[in-house]
Amino acid sequence: MPLFELKYNDYMEANMKGNVFKILLVIFVVATTLVGCNTKGVAEENQVLTIFAAASLTDALNEIKGLYEGKNNTILQFNFAASGTLQKQIEEGAPADVFISAGVKQMDELQAKELIVRGTRQDLLKNSIVLIGAEKFKEKIHSLEDLQSEDIKYVAIGTPETVPAGQYTKESLEYYKLWELLGNKFVFTKDVRQVLTYVESGNAEVGFIYQSDALVSKNTVVILEIPEVAHKAIVYPAAVVKGKAEEESRKFLAYLNGKEARIVFEKYGYVVNK
Amino acid sequence: MLRVNIIKNLNNFKIDVAFEMGKETVVLLGPSGAGKSTILNCIAGLVKPDIGSISWYDQALFDSDKGINLPVRARKVGYVFQAYALFPHMSVSKNICYGVNEKDVIGNPKALVMEIMEKFHISGLANKYPHQLSGGERQRVALARSLVIRPKLLLLDEPFSALDTETKAMLYHEFLQLKNEWNIPIILITHNEEEARLLGDRLISIKQGQLQE
Amino acid sequence: MLQPIYLSLRVATIATILSLVIGTSFAYLLAHKRLKGITLIETLLTLPLVLPPTVIGYGLLILFGRNTIFGRFLYNNLGIQVVFTTTGAIIAATVVALPLMYQSIKAAFANIDPIYERAAATLGAGRIKIFFTITLPLAWTGILSGTVLAFARALGEFGATLMIAGNIPGRTQTIPLAIYFAVETGNKALANKLVALMTTFSFIVIFVLNLWLKKKHYISLMREENVES
Repeated sequence: MPLFELKYNDYMEANMKGNVFKILLVIFVVATTLVGCNTKGVAEENQVLTIFAAASLTDALNEIKGLYEGKNNTILQFNFAASGTLQKQIEEGAPADVFISAGVKQMDELQAKELIVRGTRQDLLKNSIVLIGAEKFKEKIHSLEDLQSEDIKYVAIGTPETVPAGQYTKESLEYYKLWELLGNKFVFTKDVRQVLTYVESGNAEVGFIYQSDALVSKNTVVILEIPEVAHKAIVYPAAVVKGKAEEESRKFLAYLNGKEARIVFEKYGYVVNK
Repeated sequence: MLRVNIIKNLNNFKIDVAFEMGKETVVLLGPSGAGKSTILNCIAGLVKPDIGSISWYDQALFDSDKGINLPVRARKVGYVFQAYALFPHMSVSKNICYGVNEKDVIGNPKALVMEIMEKFHISGLANKYPHQLSGGERQRVALARSLVIRPKLLLLDEPFSALDTETKAMLYHEFLQLKNEWNIPIILITHNEEEARLLGDRLISIKQGQLQE
Repeated sequence: MLQPIYLSLRVATIATILSLVIGTSFAYLLAHKRLKGITLIETLLTLPLVLPPTVIGYGLLILFGRNTIFGRFLYNNLGIQVVFTTTGAIIAATVVALPLMYQSIKAAFANIDPIYERAAATLGAGRIKIFFTITLPLAWTGILSGTVLAFARALGEFGATLMIAGNIPGRTQTIPLAIYFAVETGNKALANKLVALMTTFSFIVIFVLNLWLKKKHYISLMREENVES
């Protein structure tokens, strides 16, 4: 810019604008360098492992995260969501290293599409379905048939097509020939947390959720536990997803089978398989 | 007899005026921002003075001591606003008809409207809309609209300022005819001295809210 | 497939009418009266615009839940249940549509030169006559835009509806819910049909509205010529 052609004021203004621009540029470069430095440095020391896990395992896995990271140079990055959502994300190429599903169907489909590493699939945890509700219903309901009573206006369950807990519940109620009879009372939710919300707030008298979720719930109690015979085994399959961190992933899965992890899982109401 | 005696505090100065008038045309002359419009608004009831009284013969329109403040709609004061304020979404005949209350009218309201439109030479404009009219036509419609309700007095806020010289001349002439025919008290605001002398029977100068005699 | 469509149209229409009435009333009140709690009321009316729908849904649940004071009052005295009913869906849709309606109407009222209302008053018109003959007609285009916005928002309401009304086919499963669950269960065919339907419908409505609004330009013509001293 031919500065000598501008008048004095314009020169000063242009110079000041130029100065501001230069300062901003410097800040920008420094910032990116620092950020770049950090991630590079971290990557050299610590591996980041991305774990897609069913939302129901949030609390248990967060506790395990603290224990694992303390012992290994690995950062665990969790993505908690409904198993169906996670499955779709992995199918669309999301960068997961490990997948822990709350349902068998989702893992089956990934396996069929050859997205998981062969030989790494295992049934990690077991769970059961329970009926929860306010304390006062414990006296009134002694069996699933009692749900037909007029005192029970709404029964909250996860939408069977998309929420595994809902699918197991449907299976069980069909086993006891109650699914059709209770039809009008069902409120289908998007996920298990919503079932809890409705039952805890009293908007639904009772609801079906996992044993593991019932432990977390505050002002509700477990009224009944559904016998295993009524539904397919509730297992949480886990597997290594095909990607760049196979060795670290196997290591993590092995840890989940270990004693330390088992104590945490059982604390949250899961039964470790084997 | 209209008696006005009011004080109103504005942002920059205080309006403090007192005057009387009969069936004459009084022109309020003064520079812009002198408070002239506010005085008209007080008489019409659109603005409330702080202290004072406004009365029409023995009917009090406003009296701060007695707590009387007759609402606008009850005062029957004709008002031609500065930009005429013709309702844009209504035709000329609907505009003029607006204030006509069927109960008060002897005979057919429509006929009344036709009659007044003839008087103001705007009969052909009945179905036109305000945005289709010229400045002079709009002024006539505004006058017709205010006068059809047979008001006790007529207020005009700079009605000629937006018009070109030729139209002005024509409408001054029409205004003087109107004066004679209607014979009601008229207060006209202008900042044009020539206009004031031509149209008014009496001149009141206002500066900074105060009378200058 | 017809159930969610019929339900959605019904819910959105009622919600729009409700927000029209409530929105107009408040816009008029807040413009013409010096109420003390103006800012507070306005904030409440605008709040649903910035809150995530799920939060709104949760708030509605707290307010109208079957176990709450207000919820129980409604049920015991008026026989109205909000949770898990079409009523709940309507309330959720109204709550999110109302801010849009209110803002549009408020702007429309503010855009009217007060001189017209004053002129009408000098011609003997009382407040009601002024409202129906001057204010409403001059605010008409703004109210219409507001109505369309509100209707579109009500039709597309998802998060709050899901919370307070649940996903009950025939009773509360509106089109957005149906689409969501169709996608979640892998029923792409149904999802595509519903999405195509909603898009086409919205497009037609907005297109027709814009055509109609073009005719009403004479009001802006007049406004340019009104100069105050």
